Amino acid sequence: MTTSDSSTSGLYSKVLFTGIWRENPTFRLMIGMCPPLAVTTAVKPALTMGLSVIFVLICSNLVVSLMRKILKPHLRIIMFTVTIATFVTICDLFLKAYLPKMSEILGAYVPLIIVNCIIIFRAEACASKSGPVVSILDGLGMGVGFTLALCILSAVRELLATGHVFDIPVMPTAFVPWLALQMPVGAFVTLGLILGLINVLTRKRTVSEEELEAAAVQPMAEPQQPATA
Amino acid sequence: MAKLKYFLQESWLLLASSFCFGLLIAMTNTALSGRIEQNKAAKLNDLTKALLPGAEIFQPVEAEIQVERPDGAKEKAKIFEVLSGDKQRLGWSFNAHGTGFAGPVELVLAVDKDFQKIMGMNVLASSETPGFGDQIKSDYYRKQYAGAPAEQLTLAKSGDPTVADAQIVAITGATVSSQAVVEIVNTFLTQIKSQMQEKGLIANDNQ
Repeated sequence: MTTSDSSTSGLYSKVLFTGIWRENPTFRLMIGMCPPLAVTTAVKPALTMGLSVIFVLICSNLVVSLMRKILKPHLRIIMFTVTIATFVTICDLFLKAYLPKMSEILGAYVPLIIVNCIIIFRAEACASKSGPVVSILDGLGMGVGFTLALCILSAVRELLATGHVFDIPVMPTAFVPWLALQMPVGAFVTLGLILGLINVLTRKRTVSEEELEAAAVQPMAEPQQPATA
Repeated sequence: MAKLKYFLQESWLLLASSFCFGLLIAMTNTALSGRIEQNKAAKLNDLTKALLPGAEIFQPVEAEIQVERPDGAKEKAKIFEVLSGDKQRLGWSFNAHGTGFAGPVELVLAVDKDFQKIMGMNVLASSETPGFGDQIKSDYYRKQYAGAPAEQLTLAKSGDPTVADAQIVAITGATVSSQAVVEIVNTFLTQIKSQMQEKGLIANDNQ
């Protein structure tokens, strides 16, 4: 971080990894929650959805970043929407042409990416204020974070609801599928449990930090104790 | 004049980018529409094969058969004569489409060779509400069409869905979608049937 070169690459990797973990849109920011609940019954459609969002996010971030200096502030939302809608339509056409099965399973959820708030949020919060490289990396990071979240959720649901992951049977034949996990209720329960697990994991770390701090303070307090006793 | 200048000053970027984006979508659509149509045709054939066992050859019907939709629009019906591998006529299949609850609904219908009975119905494309309206794709709903007489169908709120008759039992929570499918089927089925009888493609059952 001392030379300008390493600080630029440090910034880039920070931008990239912020979206994947520290500000993961699904698990940490809890925005754009419609696809994580609706298309996570199996890994394949979830992955298709995630890749579509990565494509739209990178493209729209790049275009918004390039036009940020000529953007009229009061017309920015309509410009974002027009940009996003264009790339979503292109993505939808590609899915229909090359992945008709997936396009059919995802149905209305692909056009609904237009109103996914992750994309408009990144356009507003990052792309309209940053250069093209940072915007692309931000889009990639957020998109990958979103895709990972979708994949984790759908892997759990697909495994327990059908005994398959990515359409490959993994469970022993004696396994009784939990059909409820394929229904909307399964999405809410799985999401809630994973969020709880993540909160527990991250809280443990902060608790141990507090203990470290307390341990660091202790030697100062200890010599006083015999004096008061 | 000053107003126009102000308008252009504020919105030139929106106008220009709308034009560029429109062009981009048009180009993508031109490049991919052929493939998308092909996918649709392949799916139609697959669905028809599932409805009419043994179907191999799909011969488009050349005769001009016009269907008038409820909104007054007229169009040429897409009808196929379905033949088995050894050129025996198994039945007919046709596309039917209209408006559902959330958007357009496209169906494929198969009828027997005398146009007396519906052999089956399948949904080619729809955007009905997941979990409710999209149950028009479910076996529960679709199976009711198989074996139903090829005449005006009606929708019932309750009844026995396993009986093959002209009464279709609605999906709970999705009456509008259920009704829409029945109406689409009625619109296309009755008009195609009567015109095919007039043109002598099938026997007229009124005589």
